[in-house]
Amino acid sequence: MNEVENPYLPKIAILDRVVDEIKDVRTFYWHFEDQNEQLKFKNFLPGQFAQISVFGIGEFPASLPPSPTEEETFFTIRTVGSCTDAFHKMKAGEKFAVRGPYGNGFKMDSYAGKNLIFVAGGIGLIPLRSCIIYALENRQKYERIQIFYGSRTPAELMYTNDLKKWGQSAGIECYLTVDRATDGWKGNVGVVGSLFKKPNVQMAIKNSIAFVCGPPVMFRFVIKDLLEMGFNEEDIVSTLERYMKCGIGKCGHCCIGSAYVCVDGPVFTYKQIKKLGEDI
Amino acid sequence: MKARIIEKDDVLKIVDLLREKYDVIAPFLITGRDTYFDTVTDSNRKDIKLHLPNPFYPPKRYVFPHIERLMRIKSNNNNIDIIVESDVKPLAIFGIRSCDLAGIGHLDRFYLGNAYRDCYYEARRKKLFLVNMVCTEVGVDITDDCFCLCTDTGPAAKELFDLQLMDLGKVYLVVAGTQLGEEFLSNPMFKHATEKDIELRRQILSEVRKSFKDTTSWFSATVRYISRGSVLEETWEEIGRRCLECGGCTYVCPACTCFTVTDRKIGDGEIERMRIWDSCALGGFTRMAGGFNPRKAVHDRRNRRFYRKLAHYFIQRELSMACVGCGRCAAVCHGDVGMPSVVEMIRRATAKLDAK
Repeated sequence: MNEVENPYLPKIAILDRVVDEIKDVRTFYWHFEDQNEQLKFKNFLPGQFAQISVFGIGEFPASLPPSPTEEETFFTIRTVGSCTDAFHKMKAGEKFAVRGPYGNGFKMDSYAGKNLIFVAGGIGLIPLRSCIIYALENRQKYERIQIFYGSRTPAELMYTNDLKKWGQSAGIECYLTVDRATDGWKGNVGVVGSLFKKPNVQMAIKNSIAFVCGPPVMFRFVIKDLLEMGFNEEDIVSTLERYMKCGIGKCGHCCIGSAYVCVDGPVFTYKQIKKLGEDI
Repeated sequence: MKARIIEKDDVLKIVDLLREKYDVIAPFLITGRDTYFDTVTDSNRKDIKLHLPNPFYPPKRYVFPHIERLMRIKSNNNNIDIIVESDVKPLAIFGIRSCDLAGIGHLDRFYLGNAYRDCYYEARRKKLFLVNMVCTEVGVDITDDCFCLCTDTGPAAKELFDLQLMDLGKVYLVVAGTQLGEEFLSNPMFKHATEKDIELRRQILSEVRKSFKDTTSWFSATVRYISRGSVLEETWEEIGRRCLECGGCTYVCPACTCFTVTDRKIGDGEIERMRIWDSCALGGFTRMAGGFNPRKAVHDRRNRRFYRKLAHYFIQRELSMACVGCGRCAAVCHGDVGMPSVVEMIRRATAKLDAK
């Protein structure tokens, strides 16, 4: 069977180091044992995902937070179930396995010449980080880049090093907000949508693509705000999460409406999401 | 047509000939409606039955096993070995019905036809020899649940078989559908068929087609209603109310493709990764880690099942509905929401709406 490519066969990966992000969320830097696999994998697109194997526990899908333009490969994972719990217990030097990349990814090239508006809530920044870094690496391709990011508390803001950089760089507008101000937070307090109409914010609406990722409640409200502000449904893009076993359109778990999220998604426009007819 | 005939008493010689090269699967009768597919051995060979109700547990499992090992993983001191073994033997299914054959055709297009090829399915499929049996005995081969006429998959398959057998009364008519089948027919036990035999085949099929139950399945209207999303929520709710969430319909379906994957320990530092048939009827089918389940209500899950099977989008993609008219779901469903009933419920409720 080995001469035919086996799409279910994961490739051995080695964990390099683990960094705590926020409560229950860690970033795992890793590389493939086989250098060729690493090179093949590095062709991924922002918005794609991979299947991570923790042998004996199982396999789970995870977004790819790095941009393909970055050197290192890493996952940012929240503990939510048996696989992610087991993954969190892994230490640098230990082995696991990865398959992928899978899914359609964001069509970053087709957004050239447009304003990119990133709206993220909580760990919704994980898949969007890839696009943001990619867009910054290809800065001349895009018009304005605006980031709106909110979390429950200041301690739950992710990727703080990146946020600091984005806050200080010219050519990016990065706005942060928290639901509850603690730890001497001096920034905005309120949901992500509350940032859109702040006097210091000039939101780009015409010729813009809005990337929206976050918890379902946030998603619903942000969509409502964006539509009211004049965004087209096809100019709002997001990624869907579903229970998945294979990642290659066979196991059937992620099938909604006329799409298999793993191969037809996980990136969909809001117009498509509405048609699929299931909760985000 | 290079049709052949074989004497009734000689038909099991086909099995003997196949057994020289293949493990042979054939249908057996216990009693009444109780039938099953099993491997032919020297001792059960005489019990093979060609006319009998189609077994509920479909022969799909010989290409897509109910439980199948994908790989073994050996760990030792942070050294991980992934071992994929292939021990697929050539297999022949003797007496597979036209509906089940169409099911395999659907699986072919699904597992091998999209962006990724399922190598486990492919390995089995490549070594499969199919001897199709045309259903001709009304009340025995063809039961009240059968509706292959409506799905255009029977009673006589038009493709996918290596050999096709049909009972002409005194003899069996044998036709080859592939090169491999053609070669098989060169054996001297097959005699050339005459024009008369062919005419008899036509007559018998014509009669058989007339003897299907009146209340057949009106797919075209239902495909249209489902595809354009005009089925009422209350119709889905009614279907959901009747569903007992047993998953039976999916396990007997020759065209269902869903599976789950699970790891289990098999020894010291060794685990195996298995895939197992899964069912969209079950509540946990879409439940994600952390507990969020985008499909909560039963009717929502039923809606998805029938959408997946009948929506125009998927028919275009797989070139067929994911229903082959075998009637198994209708026979096993405790709540009478097998495919024909659902098609009928949707057609009636939605047509009424259309008329308004």
